Amino acid sequence: MIFWPVRAGLAAAALFLSASLSFSASALEVKHDLGTTDVPDEPKRIVALEYSFVDSLAAVGVAPVGIADDNDRSRIVPAYTDIIGTDWTSVGTRAAPNLEIIASLQPDLIIADTSRHEPIYEALSEIAPTIAFDSLTGKYDVALESARIIANAVGKSAEMDARLADHEKTMEGFKSEIGDVSDLSIQFLVDNGKGVYLHTPDSYNGSLLAWFGFRSNLKPNGGGTYTDVIAQSSLEQLSEVNPEIILRGKYADPGLTDSWVGQPLYDAIDAVSKGQVFDINAHEWSRLRGVLASEVSGASLVEVMKKVAR
Amino acid sequence: MPEATNRLHATRFMPSVVLRIAVLVAAMFAAALLTLAIGQRSDVGLGNLLQLLLVDDGSLARSAVVDLRLPRLLVAGLVGANLALAGLALQAVTRNPLASESVLGINQGAALGVAIGAVMPSLIIVNLDVMAIMGAITAGIITFTIAGGLGGRLDSIRLILAGVTVGAFSFACVRFAFTLEDNLARIVLTWISADISSVSFAQVPALAVAAGLGLVASLFLAHGFNILSLGDGASQGLGLDPRRVRLLGALLAAILTGVSVSAAGPVGFIGLVVPHLSRRWFGHNHRLLVPVVALGGATLVLLADAASKLVRFPFETPLGIICALIGAPYFLYVTLSARRLA
Repeated sequence: MIFWPVRAGLAAAALFLSASLSFSASALEVKHDLGTTDVPDEPKRIVALEYSFVDSLAAVGVAPVGIADDNDRSRIVPAYTDIIGTDWTSVGTRAAPNLEIIASLQPDLIIADTSRHEPIYEALSEIAPTIAFDSLTGKYDVALESARIIANAVGKSAEMDARLADHEKTMEGFKSEIGDVSDLSIQFLVDNGKGVYLHTPDSYNGSLLAWFGFRSNLKPNGGGTYTDVIAQSSLEQLSEVNPEIILRGKYADPGLTDSWVGQPLYDAIDAVSKGQVFDINAHEWSRLRGVLASEVSGASLVEVMKKVAR
Repeated sequence: MPEATNRLHATRFMPSVVLRIAVLVAAMFAAALLTLAIGQRSDVGLGNLLQLLLVDDGSLARSAVVDLRLPRLLVAGLVGANLALAGLALQAVTRNPLASESVLGINQGAALGVAIGAVMPSLIIVNLDVMAIMGAITAGIITFTIAGGLGGRLDSIRLILAGVTVGAFSFACVRFAFTLEDNLARIVLTWISADISSVSFAQVPALAVAAGLGLVASLFLAHGFNILSLGDGASQGLGLDPRRVRLLGALLAAILTGVSVSAAGPVGFIGLVVPHLSRRWFGHNHRLLVPVVALGGATLVLLADAASKLVRFPFETPLGIICALIGAPYFLYVTLSARRLA
């Protein structure tokens, strides 16, 4: 991955440019996935419609006033609440946020997901300046780049640069603890009791694992929609993917994969026969993305890899 | 016996009919072999399929065939037979060629029953299977009531419109689940797109019992269905209470649909396409149509299942989507050619 130095250089240039511009203008032009939007200087009342945007704000110490937390406040994990507190208003689900509640919060910035919220982008823009980033189907580098732009939009570019420098150090630390894994194939999957969902190399988690140097037995297919990057699969297909390590996030207990135990096809999967199926926190891995989230994932990956015979 | 029913029964033992049934049975077995042979593994093919089925060599290929593909095949075939029989019964009791589980909203009602259970577990009565059957029966009752009831004043156009209304309303409610939490939405979506990639033998007995009972009940009702097609006046003249046949037929259809939907999800269009094609090839005698439709339904869904496995790796393409791809154009064709409807 070459994005670190290149991105850092570009961001520094962009920062310089925007800093010199913001002296004369009262609003900042932010380029994002659904257009270019004028964002007021240092917005104070921010609504985040995806967890990864909460992550970006928390990374620079900004507390949003509204979060699409799927009506479950525990979805905002301690890694975030330690920084942003617990004073946000729930604006409903990420899939269908409540526009009335958002409007009632009188926000001055809304951060939306490109694919999820494109249909309501106009409605959101009428409430407040809205910027959109690809959280749902974006890879790890996209999540970091979005974090950078969000920090810039809320006037915290310098803080984000410092945070990302820390982040890089932390992640490189994890990477060296994990060591060379280029000969190991890994697969992260979610099991919700009814189906298994493989996060492909085009997904956030797939790209994160690739960043650590793992192999994937799945071919990248160029990304696309949510159902393109997260493949609903079955035992026969998983047995053909045949990873040496399975990271399993279970939303249901017992999961569908548990019902496969004892079936020759399941037991013959390399990861299963070597005892290398590891349960990790499904919520943290599957739903959370971004600077803090990837550090949480990285830390749990280090723990997992201690148990893998090398 | 009046001449009309004699004529209906005359086709029964014609050699060409036996031949055609033999062809249909052969087609069903061919479709079954095809869907067993198709899958991700390269070490299973038509060539070694029978050996893998019959000889337990402890290989992974055998496990793939026996543990994964065989239950999937049985579920697909039984669901096909059940839905086709349900469609046949519905078309007989409504005397309407467009009647079928999806057109009358029964499929969608069953889907709503399951969605309610998935979203609000506290409302589940017994289990999700019972929720599906109750949803199917409720939707059927509402559709038939709007259309004029089972008393003989069933209006064709009103029946279809009522079905469309009930179906659209049910599915709108089901779609509400998509706005909820992602994982819940994913479970409901997986379910309504009729994904059978992870079924097991546990789902087979209920479907098999339903198919067996459905076949027997349909055969018992076949005579009544035949007489219904002559009109209510003629049925009463022959000492048959048309309301009783209609009620039993509709109930049978709802139960067959509910059981199938609870196992596989709402597989659309089978109940419409199969009885149609069967009448075209075998005539209008229900005593003959019942086994033919069951065979045909199994064959069509097995073929659809085989096709669904060909789409892309490692993704599973839900069966319901393939059936809709087959069914929707056929529905259009039937609609355009059904001159008698208006």
